[in-house]
Formats: sequence, C-alpha cells, structure tokens
Amino acid sequence: MGKIIAVHSYKGGTGKTALSVNLAAIYARRGKKVCLMDLDFRAPSLHVLFKDYKAEYWLNDYLNGVCEIDKVLIDASRDHGNGGKLIVALANPSTEAIRDMTAKDRKWEMKALGRLLSLRSSILNDDDFDYLLFDTSPGLQYSSINAIVSADVALVVTSLDASDINGSQRMTSELYELFEKKTGILVNKVVADYLSSKEEQKKFNKYIKSIHTLPILATIPCYCEVLRAAGDSIFSEEKPDHPFTKNIDKLATTVEKF
Amino acid sequence: MAVYRKLEGKSIQLLEKIRENLEQLNEKIEVMIEIQKHDKRGIPENLPEALDVMTLLSLPDHLRKTAISLCKLEKATANEVSEQTKRARAVESGYLNQLVIMGYMKKERQGRKAYFFVNKED
Repeated sequence: MGKIIAVHSYKGGTGKTALSVNLAAIYARRGKKVCLMDLDFRAPSLHVLFKDYKAEYWLNDYLNGVCEIDKVLIDASRDHGNGGKLIVALANPSTEAIRDMTAKDRKWEMKALGRLLSLRSSILNDDDFDYLLFDTSPGLQYSSINAIVSADVALVVTSLDASDINGSQRMTSELYELFEKKTGILVNKVVADYLSSKEEQKKFNKYIKSIHTLPILATIPCYCEVLRAAGDSIFSEEKPDHPFTKNIDKLATTVEKF
Repeated sequence: MAVYRKLEGKSIQLLEKIRENLEQLNEKIEVMIEIQKHDKRGIPENLPEALDVMTLLSLPDHLRKTAISLCKLEKATANEVSEQTKRARAVESGYLNQLVIMGYMKKERQGRKAYFFVNKED
C-alpha cells in the first residue's frame, strides 16, 4: 500500500514546491511510481516546471466533478522518470480559474474533500502508486486542510523567519493535533552559520526542539545554487551530487520509514 | 420427529427476531444515553449546511474522530467505523446517531444493518 504525503507550510515561500518536486523526483529515481499534485489553486506553480506537457484537464476539473482523475494525470516519466515513474497533476493557472476556486462554498469544499479522500482508492489501490504527494497552498485554507486530512503524513516546511516559526508552531499544535495527523517538521533555508560546526549544529537542534514538540525530519541549509536555479528545473536531477540533493535523498528515506 | 424439527426451526426464527429487536432497542437507548451524556455540547444553534473541514474542526474531539472516519469510508456501519477508530461499536453507534441528529449525516437501513453516510445532497 502506497503513502499519501501532504507538504504544507504556514507562510508562503518556504520551499514547499521545491521540496515536493525534488522528493517526488528522488522517489522516482529509486524506481518508485510517484504522483505529484499541485493543490495550490491560489498560486499554481507546477505547470511552469512541466511546461512541455500540455494538460487537457486540470485538478480543478477533477474537484469540480467534470472528469475523473485519469484525465488529469500527465506522465512526465519521459523526462523525469529516471528509472521510475513520475506522473503529475496540475492546477489551472488562469486568473479565471483562480477566482473560481476562491469563491467556492462550504458544500463544494465538502464534496472536494470527498474527491480528495477517494484518491486513496483510485491512485494508491487501483493504479498502484507508491507515493502520492500533495503540494499545498500555505496557511489555513480549505484546499490545504482538505489535503492534510486526506494524507497519511503531513510535512510542515518552516523557514527560520520569526513569524513563520511562531505560525507553524501554532498551526501544528492547534490544527494538526485535532486531526491526529502524523506530522513531521522540515526546517528549510537554514543559514549556513548555524550548521558550521558540530557545536553550532547541536545548539541549533536544541533551539528547534524547544519550539516544536513534533519530530524534526530534516534541517536543510540554504544553498545559493538552489536559489540560482530559480525553480526552472528539478534541481536534484540537474545536480545529483549536490549537498541539497543529498539532503533530500536522506529526507526521502526518513519519510519512507516515518 | 418432523414436527419436533419444525418447532425447533420456528423457535430459532422467533429467537432471531427477538435478538434483532433487542439490538435495535439497544441502539436507540445508546443514542438517548449519548445525547444525555453530552447534553447539547457541540451542537451549534444554527445547523451548518455541510460537513466541511472547518466544521470538522469545530466539532468536539469525540465526534470529530467519528466524522473523519465516516468521511473516509463514505458509507459505513457503526461496526466498520469502530474498526477504524478502535473504539467500541456501541460508542460509535451513539456518536454516529448524534451526528445524524445534528444534521451532518444520514442513516439508512438495509435489512438488519444501519448504514451512515455524509449528507452531500440538498
């Protein structure tokens, strides 16, 4: 039985998309069958990375009940499989679609939760995927909370920005706990100074553990090369030997056993 | 001998019927106990129109667990929900019936079994 992973954060710009994409690519490289879904309907992003593939239907259509999930799935294994399978499902980036998705009522959101929950049987059981990754919208929004409820594991990405640390802590203790969701914290974009020596690293880990009672699954340093790549390609594919890739590879193993 | 067998068959049928009725009665008592126990705690004044995630969040802990399980199962008996939540069947039956009274769920009888499902229509 496969696993559904929701990648979420309190604030935007924490690196959710970069982490989900690279995590998906690394699982594919390990020969796994992976599906990556863009659930950030307010600010879609995966369509840029997978611009060579044309979407006939969007995830918006699936949630609207216009089509079934197989019509939305795009096989990107040709360029990104690396021995495994990488299938993506995109969110519609048009302003019209974004406006439409932000104006949904509670009844619709309830049905959307049902559609997301049923992906477990269609994607994991029928299509035999090993991993289904949800790249979500930041903060407390319907689409994100629906994704968290539907997932087996939630990964909360946080930067070291004070408001992000505060918000993530509150969000996990007040919201995630209510859903009794298995949750791990990923500290991303950590300034290199904090990890420069074993001593500093120890101090830093102690500090993070004083904030979060949840397990810290990874502490990923900030790399200029990742920022320079500007999200135009899948970094771990371009630079398989880079320390960032190695960090994600380690994270992939941790999440697999989590 | 044949008469004896026939009588035996009839009394088994009768006992089955009694057991069935007792089960239904038991379920109704459970609901009443549950409602009394929790009084009106967690029952909003104005019934919301849907069981969306924000509503799930506003439910008391014991009902949220049941409601999420049913969202996952789509349509299930109290027994199936109790297998997921690892709580007693009688407890789940009470919670499910409370959610039905609150207007979040619907209940449907199919033979001896009562199925609960999320109210997605109207």
